[in-house]
Amino acid sequence: MIQEIAEALAQSWQNFATAFVLFVPRLVAAGIIFGAGFVVALLARRLVRGGLGWLQFDRLATRTGASEMLRLADMPGADVLIAKIIFWIVWVGFIVSAVDTLQFGPFQGLVQEFFSFVPRVLLALLVLALGFLVGNFVWRATLLASVNAGLPGARVLSGTLRLLVIAIAVVMALEQLGLATTVVLTAFAIAFGALMLGLAIAFGLGGRDAARQLLEQHLQAHEAREPDATPHL
Amino acid sequence: MEQLSALPDALLRQLIAVGQVDVLVGLPTLNNAATVVDVVRAVHVCFTRDFPRLRTVMINSDGGSTDGTPELIRSASFTEADMVLTSHPLRTLHRIVVPYHGLPGKHTALRTVFAAGELTQAKVVVVLDPSGPATTPGRVTEMITPITRSEVEFLAPCHSRHPRDGVLVTQLVRPLVRALYGVALDEPLGPEFSCSGRFASRCLERDIWDHEAARFAIDMWLRTEAVAEGFAVGQIWRPAPTVAGARTRLREAVQQVVMALIESLRAHDSFWRKANGVVELRRWGTDPKDSPDAPTWDYQALAEQARHDIGEIRPLLKEVLEATLLARIVEETSSLELRSDDELWVRTVYALAAATRRGPTSIEHLAGIFVPLYLWRAAAFMAHAAIETDATVREELESLCQTFQRLKPLLVDHWSAEV
Repeated sequence: MIQEIAEALAQSWQNFATAFVLFVPRLVAAGIIFGAGFVVALLARRLVRGGLGWLQFDRLATRTGASEMLRLADMPGADVLIAKIIFWIVWVGFIVSAVDTLQFGPFQGLVQEFFSFVPRVLLALLVLALGFLVGNFVWRATLLASVNAGLPGARVLSGTLRLLVIAIAVVMALEQLGLATTVVLTAFAIAFGALMLGLAIAFGLGGRDAARQLLEQHLQAHEAREPDATPHL
Repeated sequence: MEQLSALPDALLRQLIAVGQVDVLVGLPTLNNAATVVDVVRAVHVCFTRDFPRLRTVMINSDGGSTDGTPELIRSASFTEADMVLTSHPLRTLHRIVVPYHGLPGKHTALRTVFAAGELTQAKVVVVLDPSGPATTPGRVTEMITPITRSEVEFLAPCHSRHPRDGVLVTQLVRPLVRALYGVALDEPLGPEFSCSGRFASRCLERDIWDHEAARFAIDMWLRTEAVAEGFAVGQIWRPAPTVAGARTRLREAVQQVVMALIESLRAHDSFWRKANGVVELRRWGTDPKDSPDAPTWDYQALAEQARHDIGEIRPLLKEVLEATLLARIVEETSSLELRSDDELWVRTVYALAAATRRGPTSIEHLAGIFVPLYLWRAAAFMAHAAIETDATVREELESLCQTFQRLKPLLVDHWSAEV
């Protein structure tokens, strides 16, 4: 009995020692990958930021309105943000590799999944950035057009349109990431449909007279335009 | 030869038949049936009576009139009264009526006229307003003569205006052009002008015809181009334009003029950044001194609209104006008193002009942002002018021009910093 216990303990110790001998190098390797990854990510961040600075990317971001949007969202400048994104993608890539080196069962195949996920993240970010840009442009154009057309509620109208464009972009980005696709799409379709139906009913029934007046004004606009420019010219 | 592509085939054939000419009169039309016949007769009388030895041609470049304007021009003949005035022409009188092709607008019509002038080697090119006020043979002659004598290469009409008339011109265009280009040009927006064939050819070489500036206010671009390129520019007295004939709404007109101003500034920035002082231009003809009464309009309603609109576009103003400048504008437009400080107005104009060099806002949007600010300025000017004498208002208009000139370094600095 005692001998059996001793054999079991010896076997167990041997297994532990074997596993430990096998694990420690992997742990060290993972640590090295983790640390090296951090350094490489830092270098990549510095390189990207320097490159963007050399290309005067901040000017481009200002011209396209991206800087203003980021400022409003209390976020850093476009060049800083891109450098940060690169830093995290690189470092997370190394972290995943480090974890994979440890060969834990549940984390097997993590590297392949990560590298297949990265393009989708980048695409989602691109969609989001474009959504903000288009939303901003639509907001500005609608606000100016409504104000100069003398429409009431110009800010509400333009703000709503911007929100709508950004919402569409967010849904598209989430779809790219594959996060709760069904729920997001269904919720968006219901909300969008309800909003449009509500607006149609409000405009057609609630504001029937106003709608008629607006359409009449529009149709007559070509025939009789207010000749108020001449005194100014 | 590249410019020949601007000419429709039908016109090209007719011009080849005409050969070389000395004077070419261009008449860009669009639904001008009510007035165009008198203008055509005036041109013909001018040709036969005052320039019988010169080779002449009149080209009507029509933008697609639906009221029979081209037919009226083709069939326009001398009246008995004209026949008494005119002698027998020594040369054939040519009259060509042709629709222009390309982008719709006066710039395309003018391009056609200039290209025709280049092909026929015209020494003088005159462009007349088909709805122009009281176009007489004598006045057409006055526009041709200084160019034929090589006294000047670009002749722009000027008018005897009421000081409250033409607010967009007096509050923005005239003082801005005067301060930046350094010439005392009274009417930078007038539709009529005459120029040398050399200037017309020079304009054809410029890459402007498909540009926004040409599309919106080719007349202003031509004047500023003549100044910037060092052509001898002069002015000729004309009767003041009448109120009738507006095809554009106020807000559209302001936007188009602002866009044309900005495009002109962009095209000539190497010139105006170095231009100093203001040169008086030689004037031909005599001042008709028949300025029509100033139009009246409801400036209180305009001010209310402007106040509301400025509030609406405040987020956009924040993007393009400095915080202190915006605060002063908000303070001024929030006040119960309807007033507009000259210096604040000039600083605002210069800030918006400089903003075209940077930032997320396009020129179209900047012009849209400018509209409510102009409406406020116009309303404030009219409110103030209504209680002042004409002489005082004239003095204040001159003072505004000087303020534009005094603060010009602000724009030059901001503009240069953004290059």
